Amino acid sequence: MIFIVWIIYLLSLLMAKKIIFFTVILYILILLQTSFLVHFSLSGFLPNFVLIAVIFVNLFSSSLKDKIISALIGGFYLDVFSLDSAGGFFGFYILIMLAIFLFLKIISEKYVRFPIIKKI
Amino acid sequence: MLHWNLKRIAAIFLLLSILIVVLNFTGFSRNIKDFFFWLSSPVQKSFWQGGKNISDFLTSISKTGVLKKETENLRLENQELIGRIAGLIELEKENEVLREALALGLEEESELVLARVMNKDISQDSVLINKGGRDGVLNGMAVITEQKVILGRVGAVYDRFSEVVLISNKDSSFGARIPEREIDGIIRGKGSFGLSFDLIPREKEIFENDVVVTSVLGGVYPPGLLVGKVKAIKKSDVDPFQSAEIRPAFDIYSLDYLFIIVADG
Repeated sequence: MIFIVWIIYLLSLLMAKKIIFFTVILYILILLQTSFLVHFSLSGFLPNFVLIAVIFVNLFSSSLKDKIISALIGGFYLDVFSLDSAGGFFGFYILIMLAIFLFLKIISEKYVRFPIIKKI
Repeated sequence: MLHWNLKRIAAIFLLLSILIVVLNFTGFSRNIKDFFFWLSSPVQKSFWQGGKNISDFLTSISKTGVLKKETENLRLENQELIGRIAGLIELEKENEVLREALALGLEEESELVLARVMNKDISQDSVLINKGGRDGVLNGMAVITEQKVILGRVGAVYDRFSEVVLISNKDSSFGARIPEREIDGIIRGKGSFGLSFDLIPREKEIFENDVVVTSVLGGVYPPGLLVGKVKAIKKSDVDPFQSAEIRPAFDIYSLDYLFIIVADG
């Protein structure tokens, strides 16, 4: 436990606070999703909360750094906690998340305007 | 601005792709997964248990009426089974005498490894368990419950953890039979804990609540393990075979422990 706290402290010194924020928040989300919320699925269906969180950040955050960091960390966690016995490869979700980030970025910058809602 | 950003993003894509290829080809991704499973296991254990308790509590509130009816059905079923057991005791004695006479000896029990469920994949019917290569677990080993209900097989092995592909996974298929009527067929996973019993000859009669067990056909699982009960029968005039929907005998969310068959007796 002390080791983990020490690593988190070291990371917070080396990296930006936002990376730590997304790392912790998305980690809690993926643990809840795979171990706790699976008990409440409706006929085996459960929304992918990490994916929803990443899309939410990509839609409503104005910081490019936030968008790409959340996509990378979210994708990484989904890769780690998706069981690969069906023959999937590690990195699949990272690429999917980056593709989503890119898609939303191009769409929102070129075609979407929010005249009333002020960006966060 | 956008153009410059796209260039930078393309570079990130390229670097990540190279990193992903390296991770997959060197097998280092398995070490990363194993480390994260180890790091998360205490929290996941608590989350799994907490989710199970809350889910059980909510189910008991919302299904009081159904539970009453189910209890009554189970009481009747129990009485019927007690009657059958009495008959089987007699048969067992007879069997023992015959075995002794033939000098066969009783079959040794299978060697089992006790494991605990850690998490479930959200997109497919697979679960993670807390036993891995260190505990002698190998790919393809059968996983059962303490009531000898088949759960699935080991799909991937890490150092300290393994993935179990449930029989309801879309990639799963194996031989099964209804012993009461001597009907053989193939069980196929449909995903979301659904099972279908296919390739049953049209002329054979099957009924709801018939018990389905694993068979030697295909050699995927040891024979005689409970799969589930027939829920609905699908018969068509044009198909040479009939099929049935199966209600699995296991409920992964109510399980505390499961067993991996590491060696057959």
